[in-house]
Amino acid sequence: MAGEYHVEGLAVPESLDLLHALLDRVRNEHGEIDPTELMLFETAIIEIHGNVVQHGRPEGQVLYTFDLEVSEVMLVGVLADNGEAVPDLSGQEGLVGEDAESGRGLGLARAALDELGFVRRDHQNTWRMVKKRTA
Amino acid sequence: MQIAKSDIGQRGAVLTLDGRLNMVSAPQLKTAVTNAVAEGRSQVVVDLSAVTFLDSSGLGALIAGLKAARQASGDLRMTGANEQVRTVLRLTNLDRVLRPYDTVQAATDGW
Repeated sequence: MAGEYHVEGLAVPESLDLLHALLDRVRNEHGEIDPTELMLFETAIIEIHGNVVQHGRPEGQVLYTFDLEVSEVMLVGVLADNGEAVPDLSGQEGLVGEDAESGRGLGLARAALDELGFVRRDHQNTWRMVKKRTA
Repeated sequence: MQIAKSDIGQRGAVLTLDGRLNMVSAPQLKTAVTNAVAEGRSQVVVDLSAVTFLDSSGLGALIAGLKAARQASGDLRMTGANEQVRTVLRLTNLDRVLRPYDTVQAATDGW
């Protein structure tokens, strides 16, 4: 996807800041987007990228690209990485105990989005995140 | 992330955070709660007034802190949660376990 917004680099904890900065740009340049919808979208993006940072292998060497497109009806984010492994897909249904300290990320992302898709193809993991706009 | 600690009463501590509570800063919070509990201050208030964003790693640190405090016969309560933090709590069904209080005073009521 040729996104309206694009960032890429190594999937390391510091790259979370780049994604937050990109979302701040979207917030500043698209004041018409409902703040709550953008907040939910950002929450999901950070969770999915966090999953890549945490579970991508070789650790610290995975390259990612992120593209975001704003249309009148939806926000679409596509996060791709060249990690060797399929990411940890557990916790997608949010079935974790109240006292669990991990395993909520994908369930949270799914709850925050309208669509969350994942595919591994040609040695690449690709996540597609969609948040519909109601405003 | 900066974490400031102030003591209240004989067994209480307020941890004031700022910035994003995420996979980078979550270990700092866990350490801060562990240290407070080790000092005998197991009634912990986490003030999130200046926290702009919470992710599931940060949530994990809050749960870890809650367990550590309760194991020492205390509790962990939080205050100052913004809309994003409250939304994350609600979407993960943790808003009853980690109920946000409006003020530090309300959080410490009854301690």
